[in-house]
Amino acid sequence: MSKRVSSFDHHKQHPTAVPYVTGFALSLLFTAIPYYLVSHKVVSGTTLVTTILGFALLQMLVQIFFFLHLGRGPKPLYNVAFFASTVGIILVVVGGSMFIMKHLHYNMSPRDATTKLAQDEGIDQVGGAKTGACSNIGINHRVVIKDGKVSMPHTEAHLCDTMTFINEDASVRKISFGTYPNHDAYGGEIELSVRKDHPKTLTLNQMGINLLFHDHLDPAVTGSFTVK
Amino acid sequence: MTEVVEAQRIDHTDHEAAANDRVMFGFWVYLMTDLLMFAVLFAVYAVLHGNTAGGPSGSALFSQPQALAETLLLLTSSFTCGIGMIAARKGNKSQVLAWFGLTFLLGLAFLGLEIKEFAEFIHEGHTLSSSAFLSSFFTLVGTHGIHITSGLLWMGITLGFIIKRGLNQPLVRKLALLSLFWHFLDIVWIFIFSIVYLMAFV
Repeated sequence: MSKRVSSFDHHKQHPTAVPYVTGFALSLLFTAIPYYLVSHKVVSGTTLVTTILGFALLQMLVQIFFFLHLGRGPKPLYNVAFFASTVGIILVVVGGSMFIMKHLHYNMSPRDATTKLAQDEGIDQVGGAKTGACSNIGINHRVVIKDGKVSMPHTEAHLCDTMTFINEDASVRKISFGTYPNHDAYGGEIELSVRKDHPKTLTLNQMGINLLFHDHLDPAVTGSFTVK
Repeated sequence: MTEVVEAQRIDHTDHEAAANDRVMFGFWVYLMTDLLMFAVLFAVYAVLHGNTAGGPSGSALFSQPQALAETLLLLTSSFTCGIGMIAARKGNKSQVLAWFGLTFLLGLAFLGLEIKEFAEFIHEGHTLSSSAFLSSFFTLVGTHGIHITSGLLWMGITLGFIIKRGLNQPLVRKLALLSLFWHFLDIVWIFIFSIVYLMAFV
């Protein structure tokens, strides 16, 4: 009968400070690198976010293997299995919350809703910020989409002109702004749903050069417009 | 019949090792449920950190050097706690008291910095009820702070017992659980440091 060695006592035979010193040195390194990157603004944006998260995970692994000694207890490793399932639940809870709330924000962006409402009501200023509401509407520019082709690939317009999207195809067009697959907002609009015989008119209330629009369901349908 | 004989032959240390494993696993289960609670608080922070209600955002409030100092204090305390645990397994009472005493002081310094930070925010009028961002910030970081506080209380009491009664086996087991708890809090802090403090400056 072989002697059992408790996970709690597994160090009894060879208690050594080596894993702790190694772990400590690594954890200092994995703290210093992301801190330096942030404080000296070496990289930015998504790269920085990914790097910070990457070093946090490395740091966690260091703590788990060098300090908690997870996985070195008696077999079967119930604690490792429990830890793995906890990590799984965490990914679902955190990732799921962020995913759902991002889409909720996207569909109910409070700023765009306010801007849109103000524009519809002709209120040109909300909280000191211009909403882009126009009091004198200029000329109308027609953009006809037929057989998947845009009649006017580029429209030159002035501020407070209008632009009407006319869809002559059977399929519905989801006119969005920016390059596909982006959903940039223009004038408080995120997406114009244009069906056959139901044209949609947009007030060109934001200046810009070579602004892009596209059909979110058919990215080949695309065009640009300039508002001066 | 042979099984009974086999069972009788299992000596005392085997029983103790099995008992220790059960205790450690039970505590591990608690830590994992605690981790789930922190995960929910992190999810809330991730969702709400942009909702500042016209108030200051993280980059305007947080101090990078202070966050780094807190991290270094806690990392070092996690290390000294591990070294203290080696001394406990060797049964070296004076070293246990020295290393865990140092761990206690580092933890106390960490807690002091955190309380100072919270006091400054509240003094400047940025409280728990100022914005969704601050509600989630104070809840997440404060919950970690409460854990640190209870860890320090636990450590203080255990060290008191060691001074009074000497380093016996049940106390070594308590120290082992405490060190698990302390390393766990260090892991949670690493994510607070990365996600709350560093990412505020991205």
